[in-house]
Amino acid sequence: MDLKKTIRTLKRELDAMTAIQTFIAYAFLLVFLIAPLVLMVGQAFVYQGGTSFRWFVDLLSSPEYVSFTSRGGRLFEVRRGVMYLWGHDYGILLNSLLVAFFVTVFCSIIGVVAAMLMGRYRFPGKGIFRVLLLIPLLATPFVNAYIIGKLFNPRGGLINYLLVDLLHILPWRLDIDGLVGVILAQTLSYYPIIFLNVLASLNNIDPSVEEMAENLGARGLRLFRTITLPLFLPGLAAGAIIVFIFSLEDLGAPIGFTGARANPLSRKLVSYQVYSSFAEALTGSFSPKIAALAVIILFIAVAGFLIIRRYVNLRTYAMLSKGGRWSPRLRTPSVKTRVAIILSLLFLVTLASMPQIGTVILATSNWAISGTLPTKATGQYLGTLISDSDVTRAIVNSLLYSGAAVVITVLVGASIAYVVARRDIPGRSVLDILATIPVAVPGIALAVGYFLLFSSKMFRGSILDPLLDPALLMVFAYSIRRLPFTTRAVSAGLAQVDKSLEESSMNLGADRPTTFFKVVLPLIIGHILGGAILSFVYSMSEVSTSVTLGALREDRVPITFFISQIVYGVAAVGSVSIGAALCVLLMAVQITAMAISNYILKQKVAFLGV
Amino acid sequence: MVKVELKGVTKRFGDVLAAGDVSLQIEDGEFFTFLGPSGCGKTTTMRMIAGLEYPDEGRVFFDGEDVTNLPSFRRNTGMVFQNYALWPHMKVFENVAYGLRIRKVDGAGLKKRVDDALELVHLGGMGDRFPSQLSGGQQQRVALARVMVINPSVLLLDEPLSNLDAKLRVEMREEIKELQRELGITTIYVTHDQEEAMAVSDRVAIQNHGVIRQVGTPSEIYSFPRDVFIATFIGRGAILEGIASLSDGGPRVDLGGFTVDGVDTASAVGDGDRAACVMRPESFSVTEPGEPSNRLDGVVEWSSFIGPYREVKFNVGGTTLLVDVPPETETPVGGSLTVYIPVRRTIVLPWDEVK
Repeated sequence: MDLKKTIRTLKRELDAMTAIQTFIAYAFLLVFLIAPLVLMVGQAFVYQGGTSFRWFVDLLSSPEYVSFTSRGGRLFEVRRGVMYLWGHDYGILLNSLLVAFFVTVFCSIIGVVAAMLMGRYRFPGKGIFRVLLLIPLLATPFVNAYIIGKLFNPRGGLINYLLVDLLHILPWRLDIDGLVGVILAQTLSYYPIIFLNVLASLNNIDPSVEEMAENLGARGLRLFRTITLPLFLPGLAAGAIIVFIFSLEDLGAPIGFTGARANPLSRKLVSYQVYSSFAEALTGSFSPKIAALAVIILFIAVAGFLIIRRYVNLRTYAMLSKGGRWSPRLRTPSVKTRVAIILSLLFLVTLASMPQIGTVILATSNWAISGTLPTKATGQYLGTLISDSDVTRAIVNSLLYSGAAVVITVLVGASIAYVVARRDIPGRSVLDILATIPVAVPGIALAVGYFLLFSSKMFRGSILDPLLDPALLMVFAYSIRRLPFTTRAVSAGLAQVDKSLEESSMNLGADRPTTFFKVVLPLIIGHILGGAILSFVYSMSEVSTSVTLGALREDRVPITFFISQIVYGVAAVGSVSIGAALCVLLMAVQITAMAISNYILKQKVAFLGV
Repeated sequence: MVKVELKGVTKRFGDVLAAGDVSLQIEDGEFFTFLGPSGCGKTTTMRMIAGLEYPDEGRVFFDGEDVTNLPSFRRNTGMVFQNYALWPHMKVFENVAYGLRIRKVDGAGLKKRVDDALELVHLGGMGDRFPSQLSGGQQQRVALARVMVINPSVLLLDEPLSNLDAKLRVEMREEIKELQRELGITTIYVTHDQEEAMAVSDRVAIQNHGVIRQVGTPSEIYSFPRDVFIATFIGRGAILEGIASLSDGGPRVDLGGFTVDGVDTASAVGDGDRAACVMRPESFSVTEPGEPSNRLDGVVEWSSFIGPYREVKFNVGGTTLLVDVPPETETPVGGSLTVYIPVRRTIVLPWDEVK
């Protein structure tokens, strides 16, 4: 009976269009998300032809990966007038987890404080800070960490020059490098994720809820602890898990610091290990041990993501206010407090936008070779963007890959969003999760999976074989990794299209495809374009699969791979400025895209979250 | 125009019964209303007729033809949604033309039919506006024109007036009724407003918790409610609880301080049963009517001048009744008063805790 009913429902719901949409979505996710990862997990359990935990036991018992005593490094150590802040090496795996943990904690603190200041107080210059606080979101892969490494260099770093030689504030020079350097670089780039999530939650709190608590006598910290904090905690959790995952899989900071300072400690991270093994992959073999390493961080990231997602879904409070006013509770603090707020935000913004400012300076001057301060402006590096054939090729490659990826991701993402939001077919919640999960899949894990699957016998010699040509794989990797952006943007659009608008169309005789194209599509086209733009921007600056799969063929490299090579020091001294010039290009693309979204499409670009 | 028939239609949403074994027949050209409190399943029942929901069990027929599994776009029904569901990206003309374009009507024929439809709802010349530029009442008319233009075999109206202000609501319902009479179109109407239902319908079905409790003309339902739920839902007045005793003339109910003779409209009250007694305030008179009636003597507790009548809270032997008396009647609080109610207007029903 129930089965009969299910079949009847299915027959009705699965008209031709829904069937095609569902099929495309599942097929795409199966081939380019599930199969590679499943194969990778499988490989990690293979030892001498049998199934075994050998590689995991190997990893977890080897001090190189997990060590409970320091294997070297310096922290708060002062020697010959230099304070060393490097961190200690506890093995590659523990290092990655520790770094991700501290980055998450620091980002949470900065993000919550900034969000509270912006969301609850009134002070001059607030509008400007709203923009400035988001500067770190402008992608300057590799170069940002390179610049931080350069600024905190005890020999001629600008910060040390200012604080020690010029102002005599500090008794010793700071040497921030190694794991601490990675933590600093990542914290400065990722705190806006938490800031935005918490601010959105704060703005979503019905003011009368807080007013009621105050009315009952709760004030200050008590109000914060009992009412405000619990209400924005889901937003904080959503942002925090994203930061944690981003930190785990980040390659920009380890490579950037290596380029700036060549301290091996900044490379003792899982992401870097996986990345460097791609050099051997050129020979066509890939160590199962690396697959096991990728599996571990894949597992941690996905499990963390799913747990937090569940928690956030459970605690997403519908804030319905009937009547009353809904203007956020903004307080005007005393002059002293206002000055303090402005100064602390100014400090944060200055520190956090150093990489972006530095990138522009690096790209337009001789700073890369001049020492503490640049001495001469030059347009030669920006010029290479059009004159140097290697550089232009990388730019063209990235544009092509990203463009193609956007087409795919929009088709698949819009289909998924529509099926999930509107059709009652079995397995649609699976589809929903699969479309979101790429946020949690570390790019390097995906890259390993792609390599293993598409260089296997099944695909050898085909157009998907990465050893032959990695271009298509990068396109698919980009579209999988940015799928959540598009899906989410389209879902947001669909949420605003009342179901009755479609029903009235069908009631008047239009079948489902006609209804989709004449009623739904025109109403959500803005959201689709918004999602497409966002996906394009983030594809252009994609790092993990670009620098791994991209390494497999010289004439197929995308922008980010090119930058990583320059920063890493493969190219000639001073050429890091070319990398900076490419970052300036990326930032320009991003700013243009956001301007289009905000002012033309009137879309509030949804950034990141669970 | 068609005859609509539901046979044993049942629909559940999880544990909630939206339609429980609904069987009824709506005649060609009839104005039929589903009336019930919110959440009673009336909209779901209509959506199953529109093909926007499908029943778990049971069948739907249009003129004897089984349409149970036919998708909405093959049923040629015209549904006006509660929120109007006008497409915000299309001008009024395009909204109305939509159904015709789907039916491959174009050119001069299209323009004429759209203009006629807009004229019909008094919106001639408004075709160039966007829905957002119209008032609520005008949007309502566009929604109506949009379905009328395709000559639907059934017109479905889902709480069409609930978003309008009180005055406009009365105006629009008269217009809708007028239009329906002119075109003779089978019309199914959903509302929770009993006055609206009474005013426009040929017949009304009262639905509660998915189940149809009674189908009848407005006056049948008003005068002869079949159960306590209907008696409470329709009309004013207290429902009094008592014990019934049966005699040749009909049931007599002991209401504690006094007894009344009544009629058992549901034919379900037994001797010695707990019974509910329904007496409408407007059924009372201050002079003895020329028919068998109950005489009640009591004290005025409170009275209020409404205009066409005076509403009196009236205490008889410890029980309070609501009674309408002519406006000029003197009813000082604490004064005594005698009223009469015809036996045929004293409704006796099996007692039932109203859910």
